Amino acid sequence: MTRKAAGLVLLAVLACLLPHQLNIYWIHVADVAVIYGILALGLALTMGAAGQVNLAQVAFFGVGAYASAILTTHGWPFWVAAIVALLAAALVGLLVSIPALRVQSHYLGIVTLGLSLAFTNLVTNTALTGQADGLNSLVVPPLFGLNLSSDLVYYYVEIVALALCLAWAAFVVHTRLGRRFRAMRDDPLAAASIGAEIPYLRITAFVLGAVFGGVAGVLYAGLIRYVSPASFSLSSMFFVLAGFIIGGRFSLLGAVGGAVFLVLLREELSNYEAYAQILYGGLVVVIVVFAPTGLVGIVRSVAKAFKRRTERFSEGRAQVSDEASPTGLSARPYRAVRLSDGGSLAGVADSSAALLIEHVTKRFRGLTALEDVDLLVPAGQIRGIVGPNGSGKTTLFNIISGIYAPTTGTTEVFGFRTTRATSYRLARRGVARTFQNLRLFGRLTVRDNVLVALDQSRTIWAWRYLLWPFGVLRADAVMRQEADALLALYGLLEVADSLPGVLSYGTQRRVEIARAMARRPRILLLDEPAAGLNGQEMHQLAEIVRDVRASGVTVVLIEHNMGLVMSLCDQVTVLASGRVIADNVPEVVAYDEAVIAAYLGESSGDNGPRPAQVNT
Amino acid sequence: MRVTTMSRRWLLAVSACTVLVVVAGCSSSKKTSGTTSTPLAAVGSTSAASGGASTASASTASASTAGSSAAPADTSAIKIAVIDAQSGQSSSLGKWEYDGVKLAVDQANAAGGINGRKVELTVFDDQADPTVSTNLARKAVSGGFIAILGPAESADAIAMSPILQQAKIPYITSGQSPAMPKLGDPYLFLNSPTSTTYDTTLANYAVKTANFTHIAMITNNGAYGKGEHDAFTAALKALNVTPVTDQIVTPDQTDFSAALTSIRQKNPDALFIGAEEVESGLIVKQARGLGIKATIIGAAPTSTPIFVQTAGTANAEGAVSSTPYLTNDTNAQTKAFAAAYDAAYGTEPELHGAKAYDGAEIMLQALKTTNGAGGQALDDAIRAVKYQGLVGNFAFDATGVGVHETQIGIIKNGVLTAAS
Amino acid sequence: MQLFFQTLVGGIGFGAVYALVGMGFTIVYRTMGLVNFAHGQIAMIGAFLSATFFLDTKLPFAVAAIMSMAATAVVGLAIEGILRPLEARDFDLMLIGTLGFGVVLEAVATRIWGATGRAVPAPVDRPLQIFGIIIRTYDLVVIGVGAVATVAVWVLLNRTKAGAAMQAVAMDRDAATSVGIRVGRSNAMAFALGAGLAALAGSLAAPLLYVTPSLGSSLGIKGFCAAILGGFGNINGAVIGGLAFGILDGFAAGHFQQYSDTVTFLVFAVAIMVRPTGILGELTVNRA
Repeated sequence: MTRKAAGLVLLAVLACLLPHQLNIYWIHVADVAVIYGILALGLALTMGAAGQVNLAQVAFFGVGAYASAILTTHGWPFWVAAIVALLAAALVGLLVSIPALRVQSHYLGIVTLGLSLAFTNLVTNTALTGQADGLNSLVVPPLFGLNLSSDLVYYYVEIVALALCLAWAAFVVHTRLGRRFRAMRDDPLAAASIGAEIPYLRITAFVLGAVFGGVAGVLYAGLIRYVSPASFSLSSMFFVLAGFIIGGRFSLLGAVGGAVFLVLLREELSNYEAYAQILYGGLVVVIVVFAPTGLVGIVRSVAKAFKRRTERFSEGRAQVSDEASPTGLSARPYRAVRLSDGGSLAGVADSSAALLIEHVTKRFRGLTALEDVDLLVPAGQIRGIVGPNGSGKTTLFNIISGIYAPTTGTTEVFGFRTTRATSYRLARRGVARTFQNLRLFGRLTVRDNVLVALDQSRTIWAWRYLLWPFGVLRADAVMRQEADALLALYGLLEVADSLPGVLSYGTQRRVEIARAMARRPRILLLDEPAAGLNGQEMHQLAEIVRDVRASGVTVVLIEHNMGLVMSLCDQVTVLASGRVIADNVPEVVAYDEAVIAAYLGESSGDNGPRPAQVNT
Repeated sequence: MRVTTMSRRWLLAVSACTVLVVVAGCSSSKKTSGTTSTPLAAVGSTSAASGGASTASASTASASTAGSSAAPADTSAIKIAVIDAQSGQSSSLGKWEYDGVKLAVDQANAAGGINGRKVELTVFDDQADPTVSTNLARKAVSGGFIAILGPAESADAIAMSPILQQAKIPYITSGQSPAMPKLGDPYLFLNSPTSTTYDTTLANYAVKTANFTHIAMITNNGAYGKGEHDAFTAALKALNVTPVTDQIVTPDQTDFSAALTSIRQKNPDALFIGAEEVESGLIVKQARGLGIKATIIGAAPTSTPIFVQTAGTANAEGAVSSTPYLTNDTNAQTKAFAAAYDAAYGTEPELHGAKAYDGAEIMLQALKTTNGAGGQALDDAIRAVKYQGLVGNFAFDATGVGVHETQIGIIKNGVLTAAS
Repeated sequence: MQLFFQTLVGGIGFGAVYALVGMGFTIVYRTMGLVNFAHGQIAMIGAFLSATFFLDTKLPFAVAAIMSMAATAVVGLAIEGILRPLEARDFDLMLIGTLGFGVVLEAVATRIWGATGRAVPAPVDRPLQIFGIIIRTYDLVVIGVGAVATVAVWVLLNRTKAGAAMQAVAMDRDAATSVGIRVGRSNAMAFALGAGLAALAGSLAAPLLYVTPSLGSSLGIKGFCAAILGGFGNINGAVIGGLAFGILDGFAAGHFQQYSDTVTFLVFAVAIMVRPTGILGELTVNRA
């Protein structure tokens, strides 16, 4: 940690000393580079952190620059105009984010690209913006008597601006809002299931990116003192995008560094425009194919390999290294707690059913996945849902957790009608779930995975980032303590700083459960939690489930492992071909003829010897 | 708590940097800016090796020591920058300009240079982008250039004005937008008549000589096009004529069917085009394709071969052009110029090359007067030059305009000929 | 009335061009799972080749266009090799990687053919007069050729073995391999087909516009919008979307003159928000 801070101070010192080595032309180039760095930082927030494809960043740049230019041309004081320009950029960011609520990925790319073109077209033709030739002879920004027409002095102003922007961006990324962004980026479905309000997050991401673009635009207007549509064209957009990708799309410093690097490169090759384009276009392709995390990613892997080699030379410390287990890092064995774990759910004698599903049918374009399914789960029960493959179990879970809406029928959670509620709304009502094929946030550490789930705040809470950052930091510290307690409970404290990818499969499953429990849910849905676990891990899973129920949480699990189901569940519902064919205590269901027929087929004739009870 | 300790460290680092920066910034704002430490390496330089120049100039140096002070004769090269579009759609324009300038400078250097000093040309690509040209203006200032020839795009010339004015670097541009003389920049000169001159001559011809009664207009909203639009509308107004329609397009548009359809509906007998060479050609091509039979009238762009090429020879037939440079055969001076140009580049010159040549010649003459010095002295010398050029008789007024009249030409069989 | 029909015909003409771009793009996506944002630049290369054959080698327009299609298809095979590693990446990275490659293609074209560009005269330039409405004859040629090409593609994909193979690979790569289809060769053919269609689009567009290296960018973006508007991954959708987008563009230009791009892309954004799957619905591809 200290090493990183020291490195940054060193960088800052170098940045301050740099201009004394340069003539005024190169200082000017450095000024332009810093501006593009701030612009790329906006991309790092929208695309890198929140995963929203944002090819309109250059339009936000333009809004900031043009708003500042137009207002100052009409006599407004520069810094007042600057604030208004930032607000204008934020507003445009808000508008551009609306398509992001409906489409993502390459669709969003094309839509935002089109909106960029619309912006360029608009300013090329409006008299207010000076049409094709833009606005020239803009005022020099006044600042406490400093001579800002000097590119050298302007450089220092920009460096301060860059430092502030970087610091604030880092602040956002490493605290709750940034964590939510990154969770949404890694897996929007899972993020919604733990309460992230996806639409508001997308809007916020675009607004943030737009504000950074606006800052870059205001600085641009003050530096070049000439704004024209040519500076905010598609080729500028690709240029910033290339810098962002080449530098490292998941790193703030990488984004800035990449943009600065490209500006300097382009200036060096200024008389060889075509070659410069081939170079940075080719670099983008190479980076995307061979090193998608950019130059920063390459540096990090080199550093990690170097660190691992030096660690190997240090003697016998009981370090948990990647060689510890062939299947990855493992959690501590789980110790049954059998205490109620706090929260408002301890020993709830709730009269309303935890879950009530009535006549739910789900059709997908001709395929009927569920047909008239009824399900009532009383509070505090451990309910099992079983059935052959393709019987609709996961579809049922998806409907309960809000990923699908049923074609007909209703669902209720603790008396609240939830038929058409979205995932994150259901998460707030106390529904938590795990997924059949593990949906952990791959680029977040285990601790961060849990922290995202612990965060119960609404997105609107984010206004504190601007106006009361200390509140954010304090809340983060509190959450960290809670997270560590939860991780210790689940035996995951040692692996808390690892990425999920290096963990063993069983440990990853446990992380998913811990994450779901971090929500302090009232209902926990487990989708095939035992798949891929060995005997010991399955035993621990059973312990965990019992402890979860003891703390007042209703558990519903889908499972194929009959032994686990029989020993764990109070009641079992059997689905086959989308219908409920049995719904009773495990002992009765196990001998139900329809159930056996569904699993083994009609032709099995005589039922054979009664299956012995298997204790795990 | 880890978070607060981390945040405290960050806060400390940021404050330390801010203090550092403020101190550094305040101290440097007191320094005089503009000190050049490392002159830039010239790219695309066309000078003879300056080492070789010294021997050649040694003989001429002795001739000039008679008039100079006791200090030894300066044999260093005189640095002039050529700023023009070398890439992008206007790149052919930039090439002609550069070729014209280079011809003049090569001829001068061959004849001994400026009192023994060679003139060194360096070309910079402004990509027809005003922001790039502001960059290049700063580059020129820090690179020790004492004069600039170009740019051809009026928007770029306007963008560079504050920087060059401050650095006292005179520049002779090839644009014609009336917005340029309006700037009141004493360092800005035009080697071309302004759009006002072009269009007044054109309007007079169109209304009085050719008797067109239904004149339609189509112009782009770039610096040049806007200048053309305003100048032509004013010229028509002075003759009590109103255009039947006034269509505006953008400088990079390539499909004009919407505007041309509106024009065709008005059934004009003349169509005025205020756009650059290529765009004008495309407009004519598409106009003919839509059945518009009106006579094409325009200023400088409609006189160039690239216009004819883009429009198609058949479509450009009969186009009327207001231009100061009709043909290469106009007089002995143009013939000599054309011959020299052909010998050097293997192609025939046209208006842009001729304009640029004239501008370069004027600059060279002024440099001879100031003995290679720049700044205010050079600026005054340029203004004092009276020069009979290829495109007209140059006599610069206070606003920087040197030529004040044009002629009318008509395209016949793809070649511009004087109107009878 | 005349204005309306003229705008309509012009819009359908451009629509045919966008449909061809969109079709080529969709075929590549359907068979290889590659979202190729350099597709517009491939069309631009086709336009340049066609212009060179037509203007310099003085071949008849149709012959020049066909030769350009063949040459571009060959170039496409080379490009496919470079883009193949991108297929394994997620969509965001594919988008960015192919965008970068498009920049490279544009710069290479600038080096080869210069930046000024070439004007290509239309092979038929007399305007037609039907019921007092004047229509550009060439617009009808473009529409006609576009229709023929669409039918030819349909026949190729649905009535030939090679086409069936391409569709099989699109549905399930492993299953296709196990029935003996050479996936690599099929993919290369699919890309060549896409490139050929792009070249046809570029060649047809050349006399309507102006051939410069930046032509690819504008054709590409509008072609993609067309494909998305009609239903991403749906070849029929690309045709419908192309026509719809061309008509939208034409009427926007007619009513809003210079503001046509603003209007067109705003309407497109709203349309996609209203119906993200496009007019005919999207067909996603199973990417192993």
